[in-house]
Amino acid sequence: MKVGVQINERELELEVATNSTLIDLLREDLGLRGTVEGCGVGVCGSCTVLVDGRPVSSCLVLAADVDGRVVTTIEGLGRNGALDPVQEAFLEHQAFQCGYCTAGMIMAVKGLLAENPRPSAAEAKDYLSGNICRCGTYEEVLGAVATAAASSDGGGD
Amino acid sequence: MTAIGTSVARADGPLKVTGQVQYTVDTQLPGMLHAKVLRSPYPHARVLAVDATAAAARPGVVVLTAADLTNLDHAFGVALRDQPIVAIDRVRFVGDPVAAVAADTPEAAEAALEFIDVEYEPLETVMDPEAAAADDAPVLHPVERPRAPMFVGWPAERFRGSLNVCSGYHVEQGDLDAGFASADHVFEDTYRVPPIHHGNLEPHAAVASWDHRGHLNVISSTQSPSIVRLQLAEIFGLTENQVRVVVPYVGGAYGSKVYAKIEPLVAAIARKAGRPVRLVLTREEVFATAARHACTVHIRTGVRNDGTIVAREVRAFYDTGAYADTGPRASKKGGYLAGGPYRIEHQSLTSYCVYTNKAPAVAYRGFGVPQVVWAYESQMDDIAARLAIDPLELRRRNLIRDGDTFVTGDVLRNPGLDEALEAVAEAGDWGSPVPEARPGFAIGRGVACAIKSTSTPSNSAASVRLNADGSVHLLTSSVEIGQGSTTALAQVIAETLSIPVSRVTVSLPDTDVTPFDQSTISSRTTFSVGRAATDAAAKIRQQLMSLAASQLEAAVTDLDVDEGSVFVRGSRDRSLTFAEIIRRHFGSPAGSLFGDSVFQTRGGLDPLTGKGKASATWFYSAAAAEVEVDLETGKARVLRIATSADVGKAINPAQCHLQNEGSMLTALGSALFEEVVYDAGQPTNSSFLDYGMPSLEDHPLEFHSILVEHPSEDGPFGARGVGESVISPVAPAIGNAVAAALGGARVRELPISPERVLAAVDQQPEARA
Repeated sequence: MKVGVQINERELELEVATNSTLIDLLREDLGLRGTVEGCGVGVCGSCTVLVDGRPVSSCLVLAADVDGRVVTTIEGLGRNGALDPVQEAFLEHQAFQCGYCTAGMIMAVKGLLAENPRPSAAEAKDYLSGNICRCGTYEEVLGAVATAAASSDGGGD
Repeated sequence: MTAIGTSVARADGPLKVTGQVQYTVDTQLPGMLHAKVLRSPYPHARVLAVDATAAAARPGVVVLTAADLTNLDHAFGVALRDQPIVAIDRVRFVGDPVAAVAADTPEAAEAALEFIDVEYEPLETVMDPEAAAADDAPVLHPVERPRAPMFVGWPAERFRGSLNVCSGYHVEQGDLDAGFASADHVFEDTYRVPPIHHGNLEPHAAVASWDHRGHLNVISSTQSPSIVRLQLAEIFGLTENQVRVVVPYVGGAYGSKVYAKIEPLVAAIARKAGRPVRLVLTREEVFATAARHACTVHIRTGVRNDGTIVAREVRAFYDTGAYADTGPRASKKGGYLAGGPYRIEHQSLTSYCVYTNKAPAVAYRGFGVPQVVWAYESQMDDIAARLAIDPLELRRRNLIRDGDTFVTGDVLRNPGLDEALEAVAEAGDWGSPVPEARPGFAIGRGVACAIKSTSTPSNSAASVRLNADGSVHLLTSSVEIGQGSTTALAQVIAETLSIPVSRVTVSLPDTDVTPFDQSTISSRTTFSVGRAATDAAAKIRQQLMSLAASQLEAAVTDLDVDEGSVFVRGSRDRSLTFAEIIRRHFGSPAGSLFGDSVFQTRGGLDPLTGKGKASATWFYSAAAAEVEVDLETGKARVLRIATSADVGKAINPAQCHLQNEGSMLTALGSALFEEVVYDAGQPTNSSFLDYGMPSLEDHPLEFHSILVEHPSEDGPFGARGVGESVISPVAPAIGNAVAAALGGARVRELPISPERVLAAVDQQPEARA
């Protein structure tokens, strides 16, 4: 079936299989491999992308369901070669190790700050509890959230 | 220079925050097929027939069964070669590969699996390691498999029981009976640990292809490129230079990707297909590929009234699942460390590595040690309670000290253990009143400490290349699994050559190019590869000094190196940059200098006595926890936790702290809720829907990571290693805090679930609750 979707600010008309997931569309059809799959059941958060500004597990969303929507992936962050403030904050706090959860974690933080530009640590923990980091880099993620929130534009779009 | 001891930014950061980082799962090759694996639905069965005719008849489908491998001895394993690529005549756990299919898409491969008919005859199963060791147990491997050449064999016959005991280890000192006779109190308990999941978010993945020379090319998410190359060469009858193993960044491993896992299967089906084949495991398959060893630990300890431990006997049954994998080595390590970091005159320590019908247990952060630490550190607090000695003080009285001889015969030099223990006690406010709990809750504190060794003997090679512009490459086969090796190794080279860290690039493994490294395991990369890299860089430094000596017309002994230049001591104006030295040397601003080095640790334990040199360096750690228990539900929650590790020298303190934090969280999950559950041989929670891992919500409200620095003798700049230190003491510290909260009611089986807490309280009516 045909899907019209904006992905990382590009308007696309795509042919997708009815059973194809959003992560397959991103990774296999569009080559956007910054989004990765960890569990396949929407629990670990590794595949988090923004749909209409809200974080979703792209392994659970059907490609057909993003018709008419706006999708942002890790590749869509930053402008003119500059990193997004959330990416900068992750670098500053060394808020990653193996990096497999990082793209999803950063997209979840983007969603958090868009909804709540000045989250408390407890609010951040609650919001991000669906993004598992098995390397255990959680304190640094919270530090990055605080830094990104304090940056001039609040890190949100 | 100050490259050492500085939390320089990670080399891989810009790739990882932008999603540009490449993992094995991202690999695409022209003409590549996708593989799926047909797995056993039975925990133990004879395979009577495999009929793949219908599947193979489907367009574009290639099928692999044992019939394709009759000309190979394809069973592999680093200790015992007991694990066939696909089942030959028997399956031994639910998930054991029986056949594989490759097709144009994963969906087409999956669909073709339905067309393979397998006839099974179910066999009796055994799931408990101690039951499996008994002489009447159903046997998984009726014919003993040969030992792998790399493995120093242990005479398993001494430890049987049944043939399911595939390895054993024993060491003793003193006179156990006399020791117990001299004790005022004897404590005898059994502790249990279930299998747990590694939780590597990047599943196991590999891509294999064969070229027209008959060479095998593999891209894999392995922690062991050099050993996987050896194993593949062995299976397929190739020389090492006919196998190439490339490892991109690895998205989490924690031991699950040590040594060959899926690579032999992918190589075998690619050979048949004549095209590149990729296999990416599903989460359920990752559960079927790796786990931490379940373990039953019987521990008996004799103590004098003054708290002196005089005798200890430990018998630990390690459940290695259906195949040995690293079980013989992990159980050996747990065996000789089962007495703990204590001076105990009379000891008898025995471990058994036992097959059961579970998924294979493999290396896991801590490598067999957390299981015995859970036992001895939990029992330590029972001893303290009975003798009315403060648990911290009881440990102080028994701790090993500088120059002590360990049970293996190793002499322990400069251990930072007492400092680590005191540091967590202070950070955890040990000795001050415990905060008052909310109504219906109780709060307790617990402390624990541990000792761990590193894989010995082993060796690592490093090749440092100085480019004509003064920039540097390190060629190494150590794997960036997230621990920051590409950063820490750049730091030791930068320090040795007195150049900025940013001028050093560290390679990812490519066995056609990068030299041998034992594996990225055992907290050994900074210690071993770091030392090899430091020595290799020192050789470059020597070459630069020699060249500069003639170019500057000065004696080498009058030269020094600083900020990328060689200069004459006392007259800084007589100086040449590295680039200038190379340009003058080659007569051109192009070329390179090489420095190679191998760092080798010697030792090993005698198979008969269990003695020798167990480890080239030792890791010491401690933890103190404050836990709140809900007395109605039994649910425990960690409020505060302090951890410390003797890292020798922190090359990059921020990364050391991250190792502590990660170890702490994995241990916290294992302490409170993680368990791979089997019901009648069937795994029942092989999905993240059912298997929980610590999230941000589980992170303690307060966390301390303390780095103790007692330099090692051989590590670069005194570094020891830090990757696994803290995982061992955390679970018993939490368990001790729970017991303290409950007035001594103790849970002796992990995880400390609400049900077990309530049951422990019920069995101890005098407890506060």
